[in-house]
Amino acid sequence: MSDPRDNVQQEFLVEAQELVEALSRDLLLLDEAHHRGERIDPALINEIFRSVHTLKGIAGMFGYKHVGTVAHALEDLLDDLRLGRMSVGQNLLDVLFDSVEHFQRLLTLEDPQSPQEEAGVQQYIAAIRSVGVEEEIEEGDPLEKYAIDPAVLTVLTEYEEHRLRACIREGLQLYRLRASFDLMSIDDSIEELREHAQEDVEIITYLPSMEGGNDDTIELVVLLAARVTEEELKAQFGGRYGSIDAIAEQTHLPTLPPQHTSIPVLSMGPSLEDDGGHASLRSVADSVRVDIRKLDHLMNVVGELALVRSAVNRIVDRFKNDLTYRQSVMDLDRVGRGFERQLSELRTGILDVRMVPLGQVFNKLARIVRQAAREHDKQVRLVVTGASTEVDKLIVEELTDPLMHLVRNAIDHGIESPEARARAHKGEEGTLALNAYHRGSNVVIEVEDDGDGMDAHRLRDKAVERGLLSVEASQELSRQDMLNLVFLPGLSTSSEVTDMSGRGVGMDVVKTNILRLGGMISIASEQGTGTKITVTLPITLAIIRALIVSVASRTYALPITAVREAIPYVPEDVRTIQGREVITLRGETLAISDLARLFGFRKSSQQEGQFVVVGSMGNRELGFVVDELIGQEDVIIKSLGKSLSSVRGFAGATDLGDKQVALVLDAPALFTEYFDGPDAFRSLETRP
Amino acid sequence: MSAGQKATLAPEPDSETGAVAVLAVLAGNEAYGIPLGSVREILAPPPMTEVPRAADHFLGVISVRGEIITVIDLPKLLNLEVVHDGTYGRVLLVDNGQELIGMAVDRVIQVYRLEPEQIEYASAMGADLSDYVIGVGRVQGETTGKSDDILILIDPVSLLGGIA
Repeated sequence: MSDPRDNVQQEFLVEAQELVEALSRDLLLLDEAHHRGERIDPALINEIFRSVHTLKGIAGMFGYKHVGTVAHALEDLLDDLRLGRMSVGQNLLDVLFDSVEHFQRLLTLEDPQSPQEEAGVQQYIAAIRSVGVEEEIEEGDPLEKYAIDPAVLTVLTEYEEHRLRACIREGLQLYRLRASFDLMSIDDSIEELREHAQEDVEIITYLPSMEGGNDDTIELVVLLAARVTEEELKAQFGGRYGSIDAIAEQTHLPTLPPQHTSIPVLSMGPSLEDDGGHASLRSVADSVRVDIRKLDHLMNVVGELALVRSAVNRIVDRFKNDLTYRQSVMDLDRVGRGFERQLSELRTGILDVRMVPLGQVFNKLARIVRQAAREHDKQVRLVVTGASTEVDKLIVEELTDPLMHLVRNAIDHGIESPEARARAHKGEEGTLALNAYHRGSNVVIEVEDDGDGMDAHRLRDKAVERGLLSVEASQELSRQDMLNLVFLPGLSTSSEVTDMSGRGVGMDVVKTNILRLGGMISIASEQGTGTKITVTLPITLAIIRALIVSVASRTYALPITAVREAIPYVPEDVRTIQGREVITLRGETLAISDLARLFGFRKSSQQEGQFVVVGSMGNRELGFVVDELIGQEDVIIKSLGKSLSSVRGFAGATDLGDKQVALVLDAPALFTEYFDGPDAFRSLETRP
Repeated sequence: MSAGQKATLAPEPDSETGAVAVLAVLAGNEAYGIPLGSVREILAPPPMTEVPRAADHFLGVISVRGEIITVIDLPKLLNLEVVHDGTYGRVLLVDNGQELIGMAVDRVIQVYRLEPEQIEYASAMGADLSDYVIGVGRVQGETTGKSDDILILIDPVSLLGGIA
C-alpha cells in the first residue's frame, strides 16, 4: 500500500516539473524574441510570471522551502519586468535561465529543506537581486496625449497603467468596446473575450459603465489597444460584444462615476494576487500527463479481456454442434468477433498513447543549445523539423542523454566561433538542425551542424597513438572507417581530439545507449562543411513486455502477449497421453512442456514450488513448466548474431542490466515445434 | 585460390623487413597466433548466458556495451583437449567479416612481431592442414615454456566466417 501522502507528494512533483518545463520553454521564446530584436509579447512575460508564481504557491504548501524562496525572489524580479521597471537584457536572461537548473536540482532533493542547499540558494538569490532594477527611460508621459480622467488612472493597477503606456508608446490605437454581460456568467464571458483577443489586440482593462445594464446584466467599457484597424477590430469583436469605437487622441476616456471609484475593478491583467496555487487548475491544456504504469495497467486489462474472449470462444466451440442452441451460438460467435475487433483497436489505442512527440526531447535540447553556445561565445541557430514525430515513451526517455551529448558535441567542437566562421566565408551564425522523421517502422533523428566537420586523419592518428588500432590496420581504413573510430571507447573523451575535456562521456557511450535501444548510429562529416549524425531507432516494436522466468537457474524472458496465466505446478497431477505430459486445468486437458527438459538441462522435474506458465497462440494452449516467476519487465529484444540464427526457440536476447543477458523465448516457434514439429517434442540430450 | 593466397598476413607498414604482428593465445595446450589487426578488443570474461540447443562450440552470448555478442569456445571449435574447468582467461572480440564474435581462449600470451623468416606458410609445408591455418610462426619466448616454440597462425575470417 502506498502512503497517500506519497501520492500527493508525487502529484506535486509532477506539477512542479511541468511548471519548470513550461518556464524553460517560455524562457527560450523570450530569449529568441530578444535576440531577434522583436517586440516582447507581454503575455509571454505574464506566462513566465505565472509559472513562477504558481510554483511558489505549491512549493510553500509542500514544504519545498528552497524552491519557494527562489521562486519568490524570481517573482519579484519578474514583477519588475512585467511592470516595465526593467527591460529584457542578457544578464536578466542568464539569471532566468539559471532558475531552471536550480529548480530542477531543488526538486530532486531527498530533503526539500536540506540546510546544505542554503548557501547555494542564497548565492543565486543574490544574483537575482543583483540584476537590479533599471528605471525605464521616460520620454514624456505618453498618456498625456490622451486626456485621461485621473479617476480612471487611480483605478488602473500599476500593471495596467504600465501596459497602457507601453501600448501607446508602441503606437497602438486605443479602442473602447462597450458590451453588456450577464452577471451570472460574467467571469466566463470575460475569459472568452480574452481568448478572442488575438496577438494584435491587448485588453488593458475594463470598467463598469454608467449606462445600460439592469438587475441581471452589467455593461462594461473595455479598453483595448490594437495594432489593427477599426474595421478589422469590429469584424473580430463587434457583432459579438457590442459597439466599438476608436479613441482619438486628446479625447476623453470614459470617465468613472465618482461613486464607483471605490469598487474594486476587475483586474484584467492576469489576476495574480490571490490565486495561490490554483492558477494551474485553470490552465487550458489539451493534453494530460499519465503515469506510464497506468498505461501498463490498462494493457494488462486488455490482456484480461483477451482471456474473457477466449473463454467465450471455448463455450461457442462446446455448443457448436448442439442443434438446440444453434442460432444462439452463432449469434454469440458473431458478437464475440465484434468484441475481438474492438479489443484489438483498444490495444492499438493504448500503444498509441504511449507514443510521445520527440518535441519533448527537442525542447530540452534547445536549452542545451543555448547554454553551450553561450559558454563558447558562439552563435547558433537551432532549426527543428519533425518535432511532432512520435516514438514510444520509453525510447524518448532513453534518448535524451545521447542526443544531449550529440548536440553539445556539435556546438563544442563542430560549430566554429563567429570569427572563424567569417574567415571561412560562412555566416557568423552557425546552424544546428534537429530533424526527425519516420522511415518504415523506424524513426530517424539527425543532428546536423554546418561547422568545421571532423578531421578523419587526426582521429586515425589518435587511435593509433592510444594503441586502439594497430599501425597496419590503420593503413587500410577508408575515410568512413576513420570517422567511425570516434565511437571507440577511450578515444572521443580525449582532450586533444576534441579540444574540450572533462565531460566524461564519449561517443562510445552514445553508441552504447543507442544500441541498447535496438537502434543504430552513423556519422557523415565533411571537413569545413559540417557533420551529420544519424540515429535510427525502432518506433516501439523492439520493446516488449515480458514475463521473466527462471529455468534451472537460468533466466528467460517470455513475451507477455503469449502468456495467459501462471498456475502452480503439481507433479502428482501430471498424466501422460501417448507419452506427452498433460494436466487438467478447469476441466480441460492442457499439454505441458518442461522447459528445463526441452533445453536439455535435466531429465525430469519433480520439484515442488514450480509453475506452469500457460501460453496461448491462436486456439492452441501449452503450459511451460518453469522453476520460478521473477516478474514482469519491459525488455528490449536484440537479435542473436548470424551464427546463432539457426538455433530454434529464441526470438533474441535482452540485456537485463549488470551485463546479464537473458534469452527471449520465441513462443510461436516453441508452439510449432511442440504441435507440428517433424519430431515434435524431442528432448535434446541432457547436459551434465 | 591456393592456400597460400587465401591467408596472407598483412605486413606491418612501418616494418622494412615485412614483419607481421600477431596476438599469441593459448588454447588447450597449443599456442595460436591471430593477426593483431582482426582483434578488436580483449575482455575479461563477462557473465556468459548459455544458448541451449546451440552447437557445442558456442559458449553463449555476452553483452558488450549493449550489443549482444556470440562467444565461441576456441579449444572446442578446434577439437582440442579441454584443459580447463569451464572458465576462460580472456574473450577476444574478433571480426569474422560479418559480425563481431567473441573468442574465448585460455590465456593471452603476448604480441609478437614475426619477421618473414620466422613464418612458414601452410602452402609450403605440404601437410594436410585445415583451411584456416595460415602457417606457423617460430618464436622464442614463454608461450609454453619451451625455448623454441611454434605459433599456429590462424585466419579468423575463414575460421569463423560461416560458423553456425
